[in-house]
Amino acid sequence: MMAGKVIKYERDNIDTDVILPGTYLKLHDYDEIAKHAMEGIDPNFHARVKKGDFIVAGKNFGCGSSREHAPIALSHCGITAVLALSFARIFYRNAVDGAFLLPIEIDETAYRKISENDQLEINTQKNEIKNLTKNETYSMKPFSDIISKIIAAGGLFKYKPD
Amino acid sequence: MPQTLFEKVWNSHKVTEIDGRTLIYIDRHLVHEVTSPQAFDGLRLNKRKVRRPDLTFATMDHNVPTNNRSLPIVDQISAIQIKTLETNCKEFGIELFDLHSPYQGIVHVIGPELGITLPGTTIVCGDSHTSTHGAFGAFALGIGTSDVEHVLATQCLVMDKPKTFEIRVDGKRKHRHAVTAKDIILSIIKRIGTAGGTGTVIEYRGEAISDLSMDERMTVCNMSIEAGARAGLIAPDAKTFDYLKGRKYTPKNYDELVESWKANLVTDNGAKFDKVFTINANDIVPQVSWGTNPAMTSDVTDMVPHPSEYAKGNKSEEDAAKKALEYMDLKPGTQITDIKIDRVFIGSCTNARLQDLIEAADVIHGRKASPNVRVMVVPGSQQVKKQAEEMGLDKIFQDANFEWRESGCSMCLGMNPDILLRGERCASTSNRNFEGRQGTGGRTHLVSPVMAAAAAIAGHFVDVREWF
Repeated sequence: MMAGKVIKYERDNIDTDVILPGTYLKLHDYDEIAKHAMEGIDPNFHARVKKGDFIVAGKNFGCGSSREHAPIALSHCGITAVLALSFARIFYRNAVDGAFLLPIEIDETAYRKISENDQLEINTQKNEIKNLTKNETYSMKPFSDIISKIIAAGGLFKYKPD
Repeated sequence: MPQTLFEKVWNSHKVTEIDGRTLIYIDRHLVHEVTSPQAFDGLRLNKRKVRRPDLTFATMDHNVPTNNRSLPIVDQISAIQIKTLETNCKEFGIELFDLHSPYQGIVHVIGPELGITLPGTTIVCGDSHTSTHGAFGAFALGIGTSDVEHVLATQCLVMDKPKTFEIRVDGKRKHRHAVTAKDIILSIIKRIGTAGGTGTVIEYRGEAISDLSMDERMTVCNMSIEAGARAGLIAPDAKTFDYLKGRKYTPKNYDELVESWKANLVTDNGAKFDKVFTINANDIVPQVSWGTNPAMTSDVTDMVPHPSEYAKGNKSEEDAAKKALEYMDLKPGTQITDIKIDRVFIGSCTNARLQDLIEAADVIHGRKASPNVRVMVVPGSQQVKKQAEEMGLDKIFQDANFEWRESGCSMCLGMNPDILLRGERCASTSNRNFEGRQGTGGRTHLVSPVMAAAAAIAGHFVDVREWF
């Protein structure tokens, strides 16, 4: 079970260049990288994000570059899951492989109803998202078997096939 | 059962199935300075070696300055990242084309020109534009740093089998000099969207694709990722085999290999694709992007669209177009050819090969860059630079007041000294017009090299068809 507050971006195609602008790819330290998360569209993000927060966004989240720095930046400033209508492939894979955060696919209803600052509780066993602020429940798209196993193991390197 | 080219490459690289996913053997791994340091740290931490250093090649391209190579690198953080790659390659026994190597360049330019890229192979790199190598009939895809570590350690990658997507480009281009491979791929992305290829490997087919040179095919495959595809490829043919003959790393038994590639690396008649899209090259004119993703692109003859007209009733698309126009400081209804520019960038893994530079130089005809425009020409590799100089292209560019620089990613991605200043507007031959991509607050218009060169001279976009 994960609980946290929502930071919502009502837009599609949030690309990895706005999640972590290219100039910060030179940084090696994850906490330094995290200071610049979302700087491309939300320079105040780092100041207002709290540990355990969720990002809610539209379609094709994380499109663009293969930089793993994008999920690293989000995860190291406390984001535990991104809830989006859909994800770009490399971002999704990086998020799961490195066990940085959970990329959760939601439907249009959940996307419309969840607002900025709503308090959510996510149960990935039941594929259920509870909106405590609005007293509503939404479903999430279940992870595939193998993705669940990699997540449960804590990333690709810790995962051992059956 | 008839198979597509991609399915054949996939099947021939299957090692085993794991939990419903496939372990795929990787033939070539290209490494650069930005997405590899944490991967090497991981190997050291776990006391692992590089499984196949002989199949791994490295260069530095992303954060290298493109001015005088004899000068020290001013940015200390970049200097450390470059030094770290040197140290890692030495420690793990990986061949490195460093800043002083005659083979240094953008990783996706040097792979093919050194004969590292081969038909029917699997190629990975910690860079999303790895899809470029698909031009040779390879399955080539970008990966993140965890996967870079995994491939360094095991030479394999676990994957779900992608779906197949046939994109046919029928017919012939009109105005061959003015309508380029860049216009073909931008036209495709404009129509299928930035997520149109998600979960698929694209095979580009049809007369207009066969008609392209290898340099042009690389431009098309390069931007497959901008349509969200895992990879894009083109079946190899006589042009592919001629291109690779006699290059530095081309295998010794090359002629035998060519015979087997000819027999195997084709999509069988009757093979089914999961998805199909067709476009006619006759209809394609020079393209200019006006927004903040590559699908926000128009014909040069059009106007900047109204968000509602662009979105065709889709609310979130309309909002995105409004935000994009605000960021780009453009008004709907402005003729594309009335948009004035401050900067021009001819370069990147999309358009910095020899043919791109030849075509850009061809547009100049003794004219000079508009006095208000700063123009940078950045060859994709030291070899491209040398060949261009042997042809006198450097002189043509410099006579026109275009800067002639050293090879690297340069102003494609805003992480080396070549950046746009806030508010500057650039005609760029690169691949992404995302907000801040070329520097915070910079405004990018994606175009072909000939459109970029013409805009440099005119000071605004022009329909380059009228110049030939």
